[in-house]
Amino acid sequence: MKLIQFLFGYRIRALLKKEFAQIRRDRRLAMSLILPPVLQLLLFSFVLNATVSNLKLGIIDESRTPESRNLTSTLTESKSFRMAGYYYSVDKMGDAISKGELDAGVVIPHDYTGELERGRPVTVQFLLNAMNANTAAIAQGYAEGVILTYNRTLGAQGIHARFSQIAAPALSRKGLALMTSTYLYNPGLVGTWFVVTGIFGLLIILNGSIVAATSMVKEREQGTIEQLLMCPAGTYEIIVAKIAPLFFLLFMMVLFATAIIKFVFDVPFEGNILILFAGAALCILSGIGIGTVLATFTHSAFQAQLTSFFVNPLLTTASGAVTPAEAVPGWLQPLVRINPIRHFSVIARSSMIKGSGLETLWPNFLVLSIFTVVMVSLSVWRFRKQLS
Amino acid sequence: MRRIFAQVRKELTQIVRDRLALSLALILPIMQLMLMGNAISLSVEDLPVAVQDLDDSPSSHLFIDAFRQSITFHVIPFSTKISPDEAFIRNEARAVLIIPNHFGRDIARGTNSPVQMMIDGSDSNTARLIAGFSAQVANSWNTTNGAAARVQPVKAAIRFWYNPGRSSKKFYGPGIFVLALSLFPPLLATLATAKEGEQKTILQVYVSSISAHEFILGKIFTFMIVAFCECLLLLTILFTYFGLSFAGDPTPFIVATILYAFCTSSFGTMIGAAIPNQAAAMQAVALGGFLLVFMLSGLIFPIQNIPESIRWLSNFIWGRYYIDIVRDALLQGGGWPAVWWKVGIIAIIGSIFYTLAWRNMRRMQLKS
Repeated sequence: MKLIQFLFGYRIRALLKKEFAQIRRDRRLAMSLILPPVLQLLLFSFVLNATVSNLKLGIIDESRTPESRNLTSTLTESKSFRMAGYYYSVDKMGDAISKGELDAGVVIPHDYTGELERGRPVTVQFLLNAMNANTAAIAQGYAEGVILTYNRTLGAQGIHARFSQIAAPALSRKGLALMTSTYLYNPGLVGTWFVVTGIFGLLIILNGSIVAATSMVKEREQGTIEQLLMCPAGTYEIIVAKIAPLFFLLFMMVLFATAIIKFVFDVPFEGNILILFAGAALCILSGIGIGTVLATFTHSAFQAQLTSFFVNPLLTTASGAVTPAEAVPGWLQPLVRINPIRHFSVIARSSMIKGSGLETLWPNFLVLSIFTVVMVSLSVWRFRKQLS
Repeated sequence: MRRIFAQVRKELTQIVRDRLALSLALILPIMQLMLMGNAISLSVEDLPVAVQDLDDSPSSHLFIDAFRQSITFHVIPFSTKISPDEAFIRNEARAVLIIPNHFGRDIARGTNSPVQMMIDGSDSNTARLIAGFSAQVANSWNTTNGAAARVQPVKAAIRFWYNPGRSSKKFYGPGIFVLALSLFPPLLATLATAKEGEQKTILQVYVSSISAHEFILGKIFTFMIVAFCECLLLLTILFTYFGLSFAGDPTPFIVATILYAFCTSSFGTMIGAAIPNQAAAMQAVALGGFLLVFMLSGLIFPIQNIPESIRWLSNFIWGRYYIDIVRDALLQGGGWPAVWWKVGIIAIIGSIFYTLAWRNMRRMQLKS
């Protein structure tokens, strides 16, 4: 009963009217809340892409036989490697790798065909530029995969048969475990699905916090806070009235962003869309919560922005929004566990791509709610302290 | 010259007395390097892999042990009664390894046995890594388990150059170093220049005998000094904590750093001169210094992956060239032959920024 009275009380209604009127007249704020995040979502998701393909491969073919050419064509026929030129010495190819003209090089030894025909194993050397650890790891997987399939096709050329004879006698020979990988939920391994769902939460939090901080601080900057304090409303009412219009605008942004995720990036919507919206609503509130707390520490919009320079890197890096959260080192993991961006991205990814429901996502909702409540209470407490 | 140095002294005093600016200049870059250099990484360890062992034989146990031994995977037992995709929906595992019935029997008989790795594809990069690593584990198990079971005709010997341990830190550390140098010196330069306009102290500059070149150079030199201090601090961390060192000739790096400091300080001064409002100018620098450098310079993800319709933009991003130079100096050691033209481009972009800043200030009088 009391809650209803609070929510629909005339004081809060009056305050809400004031805040909405303010936002309505401030077209720039409304635009800046919706337009830039949507553009950023588009740009970020197109640009941030970890896919490793078309690696520039240099080739040294010392054997120059049909067999070795067969190997090079097998290597370059897939999308993983792209032929970038033949070289005649390892030094030259090494130079090309160090200049960045090549990502990888392969050296086929001069006795390649001869050894194969004699039934002896041959080693082909791959040189990978491992500067980027991720590219190197994936390129290694590609190279080994290509060699593995190449070995299987060798059977057709009669070489494989000879190898089977040389190898251990049939009786003691053991079978192989043939590993096949299948990708669930995203069989084409579209990279943007991961990035766009992460960036979504990132943008909600970063934009929400900065807008909330500036709009809270504005009253103080312009001195109108005195009038606000003189009115008979309580601190909670003032803060709730401040939050409501921002929440409304940010939720509009969420709707636009969801449409983009659906229609531009073709992310499947397996789960219930209400779960996504509920998560987004909580995420907006925690973003606003961060902003209101920031606002109580600063005296001008400019200072609030500067302070966000200290907070945002922390929130962004420990979020797992664009890089896997497991890769964050142990001493930062506590931050990952309370980070609203992290929890929202889990909700968005699981519900959209995998169709998870509330029964598995409730811990994330719980953390988001606790985070919001703590942040808003903290700002109310700080706000009150400043009054006295 | 004397007037320039007087200005530099004044600016430095101002920074030292402003605690927020000082911490922005010195603490934040270190924080950024430690945080992002450590946390940004696409290669993961200890990925949870659920195992459904339908065979439960000694062979299958040995096979699972091979996965347990790798640092990439973290094996968690998973009931065979539950459908494997439950593990993904509940976010308990990144992949499910399914070993079929009769696995042990088939292997002993010399028949090949298929093993399936079901991978959660929602994080496509990690999915690819899992596929690659699990194939490697299976391969090495095949060769050790069957003794001389089968000889592979062609073997791949893979050598990792420049970063043999494939440490992500060594790749991202230099990148974050560049990011810090692209963000903080121009930010401070902008704030200092915009402040003059905002607080109208610019009028005192106008009435003094100082020329536009001297005024701008004074600002730029100040923040170049700030950039060098940051550079030294960050390099110390890179050399100690990140375990990097100069891989070859350090002179291209030193020349490029001087030019880059000039380039970014000019960028900041240019923005500050154009927008006499600290908050707005700061946003412009954050956009130019952070967003563009972060996204369009190959800092985390390779430039080739940017769609072609936007990729040409990255040719204008000054940070892109400096990142290449820093990575070359610290990891590859290609020296002047590999990077000379990139050093040149930084100098050109820097002088464009300087000219633009000067054009804005050249009349040294109030705008009508």
